[in-house]
Amino acid sequence: MPLSGDSTILVPVDVSVTDPPDQGILQLLRPVNVVVLGYYPVPKQTAPAHLQADHESEAASRLDDIVNQFDSAGHEVEGVLVFTKDREDTIDRVADQHDCGAVLVPNEIGSIERILVPLRGDVNLERIISLVGDLLRMNDATVTLFHASSTGADPSQGEFMLRGAADRLSEDGVDPERIDWTLAEDDDPTSAIVNLAAEYDLVILGETEPTLRERIIGTVLTPVLDKIDKPTIIVRDID
Amino acid sequence: MTGGSSGELERNIGFLEAMTLGGGTMIGAGIFILPGIAAEGAGPASSLSFVIAGFVALLAALSLSELATGMPIAGGSYHYVNQALGGFFGSIVGWGMWSGLMFASAFYMIGFGQYLVAPIPFLDGRLFIVLLGLVGLALIVGVNYYGTEESSQLQNVMIGAETVIVLIYVAVGLFFIDPANLEPFAPTGPSGIIATTGIVFVSFLGFEIIATVAGEVKDPSRNIPLTMLLSVVLVTILYALVMLVSTGVLPYDSLGDSLVPVSDVAVVYLGSIGVVAIVAAAAIAAISSSNSSILAAARVNFAMGRDDLMSEHLNVTHDRFGTPHRAIIVTGAVTGLLVTAGLGVETIVSLLAEVASFSFLVSYSLVHVALVVFRRADPDAYDPSFRIPDLLYPAVPVLGILLTVLVISQMATVIILLGLGIVALGAGWYIVYARDQGFETGLITEALEPDISDAYRVVVPISNPDTQQDLIRLGAATAKAHTNDGTPELVAVNVIQVADQSPQQNVAAERLTHQRELLEAAQQHATEMDVRLQTRAVTGQNVGETILETLIEEDADQVLLGWQGSLTKDEAVFGPNLDPVVEQAPCEVSLVTLHNERIGSPIALAGPGPHAPVAARRAVEFATLDNTVPTLLNVQSSTASADPIARGEETITAVAERAGIRTDEFETKVLVSDDIEDTILDAVRDYDTICVGLSERGEAARLRFGTIAEQISQQATGNVGIVRGPYDSTSTKTEPVETVEPK
Repeated sequence: MPLSGDSTILVPVDVSVTDPPDQGILQLLRPVNVVVLGYYPVPKQTAPAHLQADHESEAASRLDDIVNQFDSAGHEVEGVLVFTKDREDTIDRVADQHDCGAVLVPNEIGSIERILVPLRGDVNLERIISLVGDLLRMNDATVTLFHASSTGADPSQGEFMLRGAADRLSEDGVDPERIDWTLAEDDDPTSAIVNLAAEYDLVILGETEPTLRERIIGTVLTPVLDKIDKPTIIVRDID
Repeated sequence: MTGGSSGELERNIGFLEAMTLGGGTMIGAGIFILPGIAAEGAGPASSLSFVIAGFVALLAALSLSELATGMPIAGGSYHYVNQALGGFFGSIVGWGMWSGLMFASAFYMIGFGQYLVAPIPFLDGRLFIVLLGLVGLALIVGVNYYGTEESSQLQNVMIGAETVIVLIYVAVGLFFIDPANLEPFAPTGPSGIIATTGIVFVSFLGFEIIATVAGEVKDPSRNIPLTMLLSVVLVTILYALVMLVSTGVLPYDSLGDSLVPVSDVAVVYLGSIGVVAIVAAAAIAAISSSNSSILAAARVNFAMGRDDLMSEHLNVTHDRFGTPHRAIIVTGAVTGLLVTAGLGVETIVSLLAEVASFSFLVSYSLVHVALVVFRRADPDAYDPSFRIPDLLYPAVPVLGILLTVLVISQMATVIILLGLGIVALGAGWYIVYARDQGFETGLITEALEPDISDAYRVVVPISNPDTQQDLIRLGAATAKAHTNDGTPELVAVNVIQVADQSPQQNVAAERLTHQRELLEAAQQHATEMDVRLQTRAVTGQNVGETILETLIEEDADQVLLGWQGSLTKDEAVFGPNLDPVVEQAPCEVSLVTLHNERIGSPIALAGPGPHAPVAARRAVEFATLDNTVPTLLNVQSSTASADPIARGEETITAVAERAGIRTDEFETKVLVSDDIEDTILDAVRDYDTICVGLSERGEAARLRFGTIAEQISQQATGNVGIVRGPYDSTSTKTEPVETVEPK
């Protein structure tokens, strides 16, 4: 099921601290629906209901503030407030319940001018490309599609995929001038992505494991997410 | 759509986490410290003490499972008892659990000290045991004060390692049992076995922790009962085996002298490596059990604070760490004092264990009572997804209470006195601190009432002191006519309308006083009328909706409402408060306008409307107030049939039959006229009271009053009762009946 046009992105926000949403994010997510997940982290020592009793109104108003800022940017925005001991657990559940196709992993963000999209050629390709198409529709950022094939493997397959993806994007109405693709020969795609990411403002990654939780705390994605200090959008695999 | 003003609580505890929480706390320190004391108390038969204690815990776990799935919210036993039995017993259980957890925690920490000291002979001595216990405690309190991210992995590894060590101990030990050691099996007899049960019960506190975190358990209807029951059963088996191995490998009297019984046994067949492993496991167990206890204590405090039974000051969460730091510090401090008491009391270990057991036994017996109360009162909000099977109810709670009494009866006097002291503390706290906080008495009164759900019940909303006596009289008259299914009952309800339905709202004192006076007067009128009356004081945002809720809660058969008689010109028909009731009440509705006090001889319209029989019956019932016989009136058009009088009589007989009233209970009157409406209006003028059926409910849920009923209500000088029958509760609409007025 492609995401075309009405993608929904989950944006987790820690509502135990006052942290205004980044202008870059507001700008970036203008063309898609947003579910703001205001999570309030609960330490192991405390009953969630206890913190809820103490901090609910304060957390709710922070969340409302953030939701309103998204609202003013013209999105369809929904806020969900959760007191949780396990953020990943909650992100997973809320993303499922609210049909979010992707999750934003926020980081320091400025203006988004260059987007890196590493592709693995997995089933998620279609979903990733339509999300990229949605996001590019309302800003001027350029996108680089990236694929690393292992040494010795036939690079033509990777090239075929990248060209196909670029074509799809331009069919979606993205100016071909803004689309670029890079094929690398590298046995360690993780460090290749991490190195490359330094030059970009946003990374959009596809999820390959069955759950997002696996991706975030599991072995595959953790090094990437740990080392990239760029905001990242993870496109969920929800087939 | 904006962010909700109400937050969700994530359920983060899955099956495995709940098992390690419950089972881990239980496999904890108890198993390493208690075998010595247990062997001393009951010899090899002490494994039976563990089985009995496990059985008592299993009964409690069954009752707790049902209550926890019915109310999955933080607080555990305390919460259920408070809801069922009110603040007095809630306070006793809250304080009992809190002190029980502190005693248990101190017990674990002393055991921690004992295991660390023993392998280092030159440090032997109580001072070091106590000091080590205090250091361990300080560590736990510190970690919990600052708060930790949920990292169950480390804990799972530790509890897993500890369980494996105990399993090896049992599995290998079984081969080293010397049957001679098991003779005599029960040197102290049955009373010794029971007395030992009282000490070792402390090992089974862990499953309760699952109930205190019930609000955080994923898929609670499956995981709560499963993990509670499974952990109790597994731990019971394991403990019984540990006892069997320990008393089988070492003679029970030498085991009884040991402070570190399990490592003394292990050294026999596992050598020094075994001892190191056991010491490590014992230390981990003590720390994790004590940790769980301190956290559970903070939750009990929070739950008590939520019910105004405990100072909010204690329950503040830390600004930065988010932890209930004050509750943790206080719990830790008292636990520290209890550990320090080990300097002066030689038998401190068994004393701590036994007092903790006492407190929890008392709590669990009240939990069993709470279960019975919930089952009896059956409040709407109580809908447990796990129910104790019918076969086992009420056997489980009854047996649970009896066994508790039995175990407590075998405890030493000093323990019983200490335990009763804690109970008295809870009771005293309620009387001194909490009673003025003004919260509810629980469901106990509802549960104690005889089961009268089948009896006829008339709900009478009252708000006006001038008319309420007459309403009660009419209600009593209709109630008394229904004695078939038990003693009928009136329910007088007064609604205080409030702007906001938050539980903390403050209703102005004078409104409460007014409400109380109204309901007291109603009670008095009921006594005069010799009818049973229950009063309900409720608050709600919408009077009509609140009355509807009451009707459903009370399973009412009829609602009798006063109506001033004027139709409103705006949206509403009878008035904004009455309309929802008349439209939606699932029971019979009688709307009465009282113009004079005399009921006299009523007349009822026995026309073709669907509610005419109910109106006729109501007329019969009202007539009993003045010992009269009502008249059923039918008006026929002269052209409608050959013999209009006979046809009118037939119609009346049919209505009376449907109403179920006997022919000697009414008189008939048939009039023949071409202007039916005028004739009716003329005819009823001579009667003191007129009963008329409401027209059928119209389309789009709008009320159709019916022209006759409307005109009567507007023109009559006598009392008017507008009546409709019950709606079928299974459908929102009555079947379409060819209605209304005779043409």
